Amino acid sequence: MFDKRKDKISDHAHVNEPALTQPVVATAPAIKTAGKTAVIGPGIVINGDISGTESLLIEGKVKGHIQLASHDVTVGHSGEVHADVTAKIIRVAGKVEGDLVGQEKVIISSTGNVRGNIVAPRMLLEDGAIFKGSIDMDPGETRAAQGVSPAARVAVKSGNMPELATDAIKKNPDLALKSG
Amino acid sequence: MNLAARDQARGPEPPQSSRQSSKLLPVLFDNLDYHRRLTVLDLGRAMPETVEFFSQFRCRIHVVDVYSELQSGGLDRSASGKTLQRQFQELFGFEPGTGLDICLLWDLPHYFDEKQLRAFSSALWPWLHARTKAHIFGVHSAATMLLNREYGIVNEQTLSVRQRAAAQLKNSPHPPSFMNEWLTCLTTSRGVLLPDGKVETLMHSTI
Repeated sequence: MFDKRKDKISDHAHVNEPALTQPVVATAPAIKTAGKTAVIGPGIVINGDISGTESLLIEGKVKGHIQLASHDVTVGHSGEVHADVTAKIIRVAGKVEGDLVGQEKVIISSTGNVRGNIVAPRMLLEDGAIFKGSIDMDPGETRAAQGVSPAARVAVKSGNMPELATDAIKKNPDLALKSG
Repeated sequence: MNLAARDQARGPEPPQSSRQSSKLLPVLFDNLDYHRRLTVLDLGRAMPETVEFFSQFRCRIHVVDVYSELQSGGLDRSASGKTLQRQFQELFGFEPGTGLDICLLWDLPHYFDEKQLRAFSSALWPWLHARTKAHIFGVHSAATMLLNREYGIVNEQTLSVRQRAAAQLKNSPHPPSFMNEWLTCLTTSRGVLLPDGKVETLMHSTI
């Protein structure tokens, strides 16, 4: 019985096995943009200010200022931007020299290279990304509002009471109950 | 874009990261005033985990990446002390009124001699305040070999460690006494000897 099944499986394997006639070429994941998006192609060079009411994908060169506060700006792998950019979400897979203001977030992918200052509630830097400048972040719920300092959280997590946590406990008596 | 161009655009594959526990990181972050924005200086390369860690705070991180500046000539170790101090100041580019709460120096001071450390210290001094703390990797003795590593912060107790992709620059590991003598804007407050001969050191400003 098992032999029969094995033969059937083997038959299936032969039938389904693809013919390896062409080498498999890995390609870079395509930059995906949601909704309506204007595109500056790799052969386009723009000197000036860009503003509008839709998202923008830049694969060419832009020098100036980009203001798309309610939409997204993506600098693709071949994009080169020498400009300050303001957008809802800014994604960089190419090169940027300028300040980035992301109303929601800024993402620098593994191929991204940014020199400038970034202001965003949240920023994501992928492994391999290059960045020099300053990053201003404000998650909206500060440590003060949460009432827990990192040192006190360490004490609560580990279940011990290192000396460095006692100051935090004095400021927040409730923590003493949590740490048991 | 063809495959070769894509690979060139991507650059070298990022080195794998390992984890190292830290007894001093909790102290670095202790007693910080979280009602105001935290201001951090990172002399190393921008690391994803460091950015992720600080994203939970209202903060400003200044990433200077001294090592790449040494490689590219943005910092010229052969320059005079005054010139080097000016180069550091331009690299910092701090706005007037900036007060650094945390300085992440990693092991980068070991790539400078006493003259260069003094220039760095002079450039950094105006931006420190009485509660500024610094984290640095010292060495137990000058005979300790400095490994070609980059560092980041994963959480309040854990550092990340990577082999640096670029070739290592000339360096001279300095014991704590050397650091205290030439990095005059900071002084050692606590140190932990690590198995590899490094000394994880907490410093505070001398203001």
